[in-house]
Amino acid sequence: MDKINILIIEDTKSEEEALISVLEDNGYNIVGVAKNYTEALSLFYNNKVDLIIIDVFLNGQPEGITFAETIAITPNIGKPFVFLTSSKDRQIFERAKLTKPFSFLLKPFNELEVLYAVEMAIEKFYEQTNVFVSEDQDTVIGTNYLFIKKKNALKKVAIDDIIYIEVEERYCNIITQNDKFLVALSLTKITTLLDTDTFTRTHRNFIINTNRITEIILNENLIILEGNYKITLSEKYKEFIHKYKILK
Amino acid sequence: MIHVKIRILFSIILFSISPLLFSQKGKVSLFENEIKKRTQKFTQEDNFKKAQLFFLKKNWDSTLVYSMKQLSFKQTSLELANYCHFFRGISFNQKKMLNEAKKEFNAISKTFEFQKSINNILGQISLEQSEFKKAINYFKEFENIPESNYYDIKRSFINHNLGVCYLQLRNFNEAEIYLLKSTKLQELEKDTIALVGAYGDIATMYYEQYKDNLAIPFFEKAYEFSKKVKRYDLKKIATQNMSVVEENRKNFEKALVYRKEAEKWNDSLTDQNKIWAVAEVEKKFAIKQKQEEIHVLEVENKIKQTQRNGLLIVAILLLSIFGIGLYFYRQKIKTNKIIVLQKENLDELNATKDKLFGIVSHDLRSSVNTLKTSNIKLLSLLETKNYEQLDLLLHKNIAIANSSYNLLDNLLNWSQQQTNQLFFQQESLHLFSIIQQIVYNYKPIASEKNIEIKTNIDSTIFVFMDLESLKIILRNLLDNAIKFTNENGVISINTIKTDENFIKLAIEDSGIGMSNAAIQEIMQEFTKLSKKHNKEIIGTGLGMQLCKSMLQKNGGKLEIESKIGIGTKFILFLPKVIFHG
Repeated sequence: MDKINILIIEDTKSEEEALISVLEDNGYNIVGVAKNYTEALSLFYNNKVDLIIIDVFLNGQPEGITFAETIAITPNIGKPFVFLTSSKDRQIFERAKLTKPFSFLLKPFNELEVLYAVEMAIEKFYEQTNVFVSEDQDTVIGTNYLFIKKKNALKKVAIDDIIYIEVEERYCNIITQNDKFLVALSLTKITTLLDTDTFTRTHRNFIINTNRITEIILNENLIILEGNYKITLSEKYKEFIHKYKILK
Repeated sequence: MIHVKIRILFSIILFSISPLLFSQKGKVSLFENEIKKRTQKFTQEDNFKKAQLFFLKKNWDSTLVYSMKQLSFKQTSLELANYCHFFRGISFNQKKMLNEAKKEFNAISKTFEFQKSINNILGQISLEQSEFKKAINYFKEFENIPESNYYDIKRSFINHNLGVCYLQLRNFNEAEIYLLKSTKLQELEKDTIALVGAYGDIATMYYEQYKDNLAIPFFEKAYEFSKKVKRYDLKKIATQNMSVVEENRKNFEKALVYRKEAEKWNDSLTDQNKIWAVAEVEKKFAIKQKQEEIHVLEVENKIKQTQRNGLLIVAILLLSIFGIGLYFYRQKIKTNKIIVLQKENLDELNATKDKLFGIVSHDLRSSVNTLKTSNIKLLSLLETKNYEQLDLLLHKNIAIANSSYNLLDNLLNWSQQQTNQLFFQQESLHLFSIIQQIVYNYKPIASEKNIEIKTNIDSTIFVFMDLESLKIILRNLLDNAIKFTNENGVISINTIKTDENFIKLAIEDSGIGMSNAAIQEIMQEFTKLSKKHNKEIIGTGLGMQLCKSMLQKNGGKLEIESKIGIGTKFILFLPKVIFHG
């Protein structure tokens, strides 16, 4: 599991320090702090950013919203973000609302509020609400990462790194190259949100990453994955093999 | 010579008859029936129908008009055209336009149903135009026609006409035969008028041949019959004939008597003609008068109409003016109402503004003043290095700053809410997380007074509210609870699931409690911010008002239960998330 990379756009030193200390204490990684719009853009494009915290007002101008608008209208680069503001002024919020989906954090904020706002931003962005606050789920499936809540903070796992997933009731055992962990995630969510070209079901309890297959032994109904994991292939799910050209 | 005179006098009484003229009263003739029957199939032709109707009514001019209209249609069939020409021929004949009549009859094809009627009429026309031989040719055909036929040909007339023709041609033998034959038939028919003519004609015939003995009885008969008829012309001719006869017999006295009678009849005839003429003039005059009357009435009507139109226009104008007036009056009332409402609103706002000024000047001023003096104290304590006192005073200052900040925050929120400047968006919120976030801020303050905050929230509950509204409500209630709870007290926050629309959230403290009057004051509609009951503790009721209006805006409500000395319980009714479908 990796830390989540956060970009902060904030021009007040004290606010910045407060934010950084809360986030770092909870296992988040700060990739940079931008003081204005241009800095924000260069930091955004030069780093792998998972989430952005944006102060609405930079140097007395609503540049924060302008930045949010810029990344919201550019296709395929959108990231979850949190607006930071000291007033719930209607005009500002009406404008911010257009950059949907968004989450906001009102100053002064405490630790819990910061963490909550970050979680909300991720849930809303990937359209899987009420995940982190519920008791039977803890994982949001993003485009390239799974976001998993561990204790108070979030971690991420690159989806490409997953070798296979073993499903047991409400829980999933996720096996990556170097790691192995249990998350609360329903089977239906996995099958609807993960890319079906890459991930396929081979058994009632197994979902494998097809890019990680090293060998298929048909007469033994076995699939060998990288790391020498042996997964059973049940009759019911054999279909997927036809997608591949089989050499004889 | 005398005979010549007589002949001139007695010249032929022509039976220039239209068959219809002689149709008997009360009975519809066979001819009429046949016409009706045979033209039945053309009833959908409007003009022809009218022509036929007028024809049967003997209204010749109208018949001519409508038959002409019918003929002007190109689609008129041959048979229909034949009937039209037939009607026109007869009509022209009746109007004595003989050549026109002949033209019409000649236009009819030879296969026409009523060809025989046509020939009969053509015979009559020839007779009238003194083409006797031609007439005889026409009439000969019908000499022996059966008495009942639908061509409207009467044997007696045919014979009579033939007789007249021969007489004119001075073929006395033939004339005698036909005239006697016709007279016989007419005697059978008892047609007095015809008989007068017939007897006269026979008498003339004999007289022409100088057969006076044979002629005289017929003259006398004609005279006798003439007495019975009302036609003065016939009477005159018969009487004149008698006078000529008596004159020739040298019986001048009688001749004179007849001559006088004849003159009398002549006078009557001219009188009658005069009367008719006068009647005609009177009729014309009456018509003219009537027309004038009609004209006057028309003019009157026109005047009335214009008057009515004028009245109508005036009425409409008045009505529209009235309507416009009413509209403006209403508008004025409306604007007045709006102005009154605005005035009330302004008064209210003014009152609250005054109150706010009061709060700012009193509460804020005093707390800032306290901070000011205590800061000077802090400096002196620092100089004397009295750390124990310093720590105590600093904590006190923090508390004062905190409550001042809360007050300012409320003021800001409240004024923004009043002017509708707050962003408001209801969404699904995890109640447990939000309460945790709020309680997090108050834990240090509570522990200062050694107050325990117990939370027992169902973590599956989601409420449908605006996030900041919920936070403001919770902050104020918690702040209040801590303020009014003595040291070592307990504040508990817990959820009670209730009906399908609301989540009940109870915030209970073991504080000083409130009187019923105080509760009522809080629950009252705002404008009047409640007065301070606990003077030593900063509080203005602004927070409570804010809670109430925020809850209301989110569709929730507030209830308070309290006992003095035991504690207060605030029960919030928070709207639930309703999952659709």
